[in-house]
Amino acid sequence: MATLTEPTPTKNVIPPSTHPFADIIHRLEAGGSMLPDTPENLKQIIGIYKAYAVPMDFYWRDLLYIAERVFLDPLPAFKYFLPQSYLDLPNHYAGDTADLRIWRGEAEAHPELLEFMEKGELGKKLPKIFHHLWHDRVNMEFAEACKQAMLWHQGMGGRFNDYLYTDEYKANCDQAIAAYFKGNPLMLTLHKHFPDLFYEKCRDLSYYSNLGLFWEVMAPVFFEMSDIYDEGGFKGVPDAMDFLVNGIFAVAGRPIYHHVYVGDECFELVPKSKAFTWLYEAALPYVEAVFYRTAPFRGTKSYNAQAHEVPGDQKDFHYGILYADVFPVGSAGIPPTLLMQDMMHFLPDYLRDYYDDYCRGDDDVLIQLGITFQRSMYNVTSAVIQALRTALLYPLDDPNPEHRLANRQFFEAQMDRFLRPEARLRDIQSQDYR
Amino acid sequence: MLSALIWIPIAGAIAIFLLPLTGAKAKSAAIAVATVPLLWSIYLFTQFDLGNAGFQFHEFLPWLTALGLNYDLSMDGLSLLMVGLNALLTLVAIGSTAQDTKRPRLFYGLLLLVSGGIAGAFLAQNLLLFFLLYEIELVPLYLLIAIWGGDDKRSYSAMKFLIYTALSGALMLAGFLGTVWFSNASDFTYSAVMGQSLPLQWQLGLMVLLLVAFAIKVPLVPFHTWLPDTYVSASTPVAIMLGGVLAKLGTYGLFRFCLGIFPDAWALASPYLAIWATVSVLYGAITAIAQKDIKRMVAYSSIGHMGYVLLGGAAMTDLALTGAVSQMVSHGLILALLFNLVGIVETKVGTRELDVLNGLMNPVRGLPLVSALLVLGGMASAGIPGLVGFITEFLVFQGSYRVYGIQTLLCVLGSGLTSVYFVILLNRTCFGKLDNKIAYFPKVTFSENLPAIALAALVLFLGIQPNWLVRWGEPTATDMIAALPATPPTLTGSVELADLPPAPPLP
Repeated sequence: MATLTEPTPTKNVIPPSTHPFADIIHRLEAGGSMLPDTPENLKQIIGIYKAYAVPMDFYWRDLLYIAERVFLDPLPAFKYFLPQSYLDLPNHYAGDTADLRIWRGEAEAHPELLEFMEKGELGKKLPKIFHHLWHDRVNMEFAEACKQAMLWHQGMGGRFNDYLYTDEYKANCDQAIAAYFKGNPLMLTLHKHFPDLFYEKCRDLSYYSNLGLFWEVMAPVFFEMSDIYDEGGFKGVPDAMDFLVNGIFAVAGRPIYHHVYVGDECFELVPKSKAFTWLYEAALPYVEAVFYRTAPFRGTKSYNAQAHEVPGDQKDFHYGILYADVFPVGSAGIPPTLLMQDMMHFLPDYLRDYYDDYCRGDDDVLIQLGITFQRSMYNVTSAVIQALRTALLYPLDDPNPEHRLANRQFFEAQMDRFLRPEARLRDIQSQDYR
Repeated sequence: MLSALIWIPIAGAIAIFLLPLTGAKAKSAAIAVATVPLLWSIYLFTQFDLGNAGFQFHEFLPWLTALGLNYDLSMDGLSLLMVGLNALLTLVAIGSTAQDTKRPRLFYGLLLLVSGGIAGAFLAQNLLLFFLLYEIELVPLYLLIAIWGGDDKRSYSAMKFLIYTALSGALMLAGFLGTVWFSNASDFTYSAVMGQSLPLQWQLGLMVLLLVAFAIKVPLVPFHTWLPDTYVSASTPVAIMLGGVLAKLGTYGLFRFCLGIFPDAWALASPYLAIWATVSVLYGAITAIAQKDIKRMVAYSSIGHMGYVLLGGAAMTDLALTGAVSQMVSHGLILALLFNLVGIVETKVGTRELDVLNGLMNPVRGLPLVSALLVLGGMASAGIPGLVGFITEFLVFQGSYRVYGIQTLLCVLGSGLTSVYFVILLNRTCFGKLDNKIAYFPKVTFSENLPAIALAALVLFLGIQPNWLVRWGEPTATDMIAALPATPPTLTGSVELADLPPAPPLP
């Protein structure tokens, strides 16, 4: 049985919180995570970060490929068939060529990913089309659903989305569209008479690029966390969270842009010079859109909007992984089964053994790892909350009671979002939630 | 040839009592023992002469001749089907037993004793031998319910079962004694004509005694009150034996001894029997709808379905009686399937309450195969075409409609009500969303599923190929109907004791 080792609280200068999640708030105030600090939790979240990072290494490459190369292809049947050049694309945060080397591994696609792409779950090298049609592949549909959530919710702060509606952006799009459809009068005529059609598609593709650039960072972060854990480097969940907080600040200024390549020519739809940065234009909108909001999953559960089963206001949506019923028939806004399927292929042995010991072992491993993923995302969200607190408020050990109270109010406001019954924050406090 | 069906289970039971076997080994041994009578029954099916409507494979050993009690065995189509059903469901019951059953040697031994005794009762050609074997079940069954019962009321339920069945036995003994004495029979050897020499009033009186005796065993309303308590308290394998086989001893007795020995009285009483059957069908179905416990719901459904058997017998047509005999088998298979599945649900989920169960069809954390088979069992019980329940009920209705139109239509309505409560059961149990706060049910292993899979396959196969079921009982049913009077007799005048033939001196 795992033992709970809470972070050592700093000296109390304000009275205890009376919030329903007071225990968790006190843990956050002590520098901890929303996820209890147990060896079991640490093992689960690090294992799943690794399993998530491998397909993520595909996601970010393919998202950039679609945004940059597939672009406005009206029949993008092969957009998931990643060319070698994108598999070789060096990650900016790994390998010898890194701008900032977060992961000590190589910059090219991860070896486990390459092996899986070659043989798939079948374990046989077949023409790529067969693996694709058999769904024996990385499920980009999950990544696209995340992108769709970011596009659809918009208005979550930042300037990126506003820029997509400026004349400057439209002019950039016009240039790229003209070059892309050169010699195609049908499409050019269509764009002339119905310009919003391709503008909207370009905005969509700009979010492809946005998310691709976000995950380009996260994949090496998770790989490095896995390596550190394997070396015995993390002592607890707060250590893992602190690594994420440090990572967030280290890459916060990473530019977010959208370049399109038509032949050898590059069109900057969202130029780097606009100074959109990773933390505010990608990370925070991503967390808000994917972890919290997303949309009711079109699974087997029906939602009746007329009966107010779906909130009228998008900001009240609560279908993200932090609220998700991880059962396949559940309510997660992203197609959870696809991500679970992807992660299952890359589970570290210790996590596979762990799942074998609980519930139905291999038979319900998708659900077990989905719930682990939920735990791990509560830890990532904790890191984001702590990073925001660091950026906007005061240190945790600030001696000024007013500052500590401001921190308290910030944490309580964050926890208010988990008061609704669908939130899984209560569930993840128990190790029995699997 | 027939003795093997009785003595192999009994010898196996004694061996299991005596050998120092642990849980899993005791179960394997019991399965091995129970497989032999099943294989032997299959062999008997292959050797059975369908052209001969009478009794076959005769075995006779004088025993207590002074008492008129002899070891006299034989079988016709009715017995053959019942013996086959008994052998199959014994194996299913043992297969449905949890590995961690307490005192496994005693449990399996008692189960095999019951099986051997029931086989003997179905084969007995001596009324006293039938009575002995009928009564001898009581002790092991009482113990099986009282010791291994699944709830706090098991002692009460076992005692209730004991009292009812003992009363049934007493009435039966009175009926048999009266029949033998008043018919001047030299011993208790079964003869289809032994009751026909008696005046109709006496036939009627004796038949009523036997009718009540067997109605308790079936059970039919209003003698049913032991059934819900007993079925619910009994563990899954015992419930399978009770509902699948023991109840058939009641309907077997109705046809063999009431209809067989007193055809005139049966013909006279048949309109009332048809009404009785209808009341049982409707009562069972309506009461089942009101249940919150799925095992109790299945138990009440059993009362309703046994009503079809009585209706088929009351109609006195070849088709209806053939349907009734087939319905006995069909009901045994479906009820065993349902009890097996309900048992798995209870073991894995920890409850049988409709208000708690939900979403078991969930493919990952639910019990998807169990749920699918439960849907199939419910459909079979509701008489959905393509499954064995349909064909047997259809035969009964087809055969009885021209004789008892209104009663038949009401029974068809009862069949519709079966759909109602099974839709309620399936909708609440299998469908909907599985609550993942409680959905940590253990996995159902293949060996746990195997009995239900085998039964479901049989339910499906016999639904598609009903002749494999119907042809065995058809000659016997035709023969029984031929013995019935062409026109129902009427009660006229009064009977003086002096009119009766003198009773033979007591041995």
